[in-house]
Amino acid sequence: MTSMEHRTAAEVHWEGGVSPFGVPWQKLMMWFFLVTDALLFAGFLAAYGFVRLANGTWPVRSEVFSMPFIGLMTFVLITSSATMATAVGAAHRGDLRLARTFVVLTTIGGLFFLGCQAREWTGLILEGARLTANPWGVPAFSGFFFMITGFHGTHVLIGVVLLALLAARLRSGRSSASGVELVGLYWHFVDLVWVFIFTFFYLI
Amino acid sequence: MTTISGHMTGATAPLTGVSAQPMGVMPYSKYWISWGALLGLTMVMLFSETLPLYRTAAVMLLLVAMLVKAGVIAAWFMHLRFERAALVISIVGATVLTAVALFGLIVPDAIATLRQAAQ
Repeated sequence: MTSMEHRTAAEVHWEGGVSPFGVPWQKLMMWFFLVTDALLFAGFLAAYGFVRLANGTWPVRSEVFSMPFIGLMTFVLITSSATMATAVGAAHRGDLRLARTFVVLTTIGGLFFLGCQAREWTGLILEGARLTANPWGVPAFSGFFFMITGFHGTHVLIGVVLLALLAARLRSGRSSASGVELVGLYWHFVDLVWVFIFTFFYLI
Repeated sequence: MTTISGHMTGATAPLTGVSAQPMGVMPYSKYWISWGALLGLTMVMLFSETLPLYRTAAVMLLLVAMLVKAGVIAAWFMHLRFERAALVISIVGATVLTAVALFGLIVPDAIATLRQAAQ
């Protein structure tokens, strides 16, 4: 068997060809980045879970947070994810004008979410919450709150910057469907992480 | 091999760029149906404390709803549903296994710490 035949037989056996994941390298690298970032958030939430379980007592969330307001933030982020998905769909159809419209809508959603988060943080800080102390009895509570939501908020901020740049590039014809898809993956990841923060921090 | 949208996938599909992927061409309605499902689940989660459930059952409900939401976002918004199994297993498998190991180690340790503090 020649080396070529041997290689062909191996490829047929595993059916991966020269591109086992079937995606371009940019998209694969974005996925790898998202996996590592997800594990970082998993570490934060696991640490939060440890401290919460080891503490025994924990502030009652309804006494600290305004749940309708948190619900509004969640609604905005989910909606922005849907508009981003629509933008990706439009970009793949070659309708970059529609894609830009939905990218702009997603940017507005992201800005609204950041505004809500700023309002929430301001309210808690005015009530006396700090990284190492708060009026609700468990110092670690506010520390984890500011760290986890702050880290997520930073991701949202980066996403908004990326979206604004993408909208500008689409307007000038310098971006393609691939750019929209990559930014879309990042934005959906931001939404995905919020699902976990929303559940673990605000609901359970 | 073709997907629901009729595009080529697999090793024979040309990879001329990210846009060569088939998964972006999905009916817009699918995205908004996913959005509706996510909103519905969020409402269930928000109002879960008003349901006549034991604490454990309520927490289980929240966790299941959370995982379903995460699945909807990953599968439909991030198009993992249309990616190759190799990619899906690598991404989801690695993340879930590591996260489960992380939480699996944390919980017993935290409970042991709590018991130690109580003694």
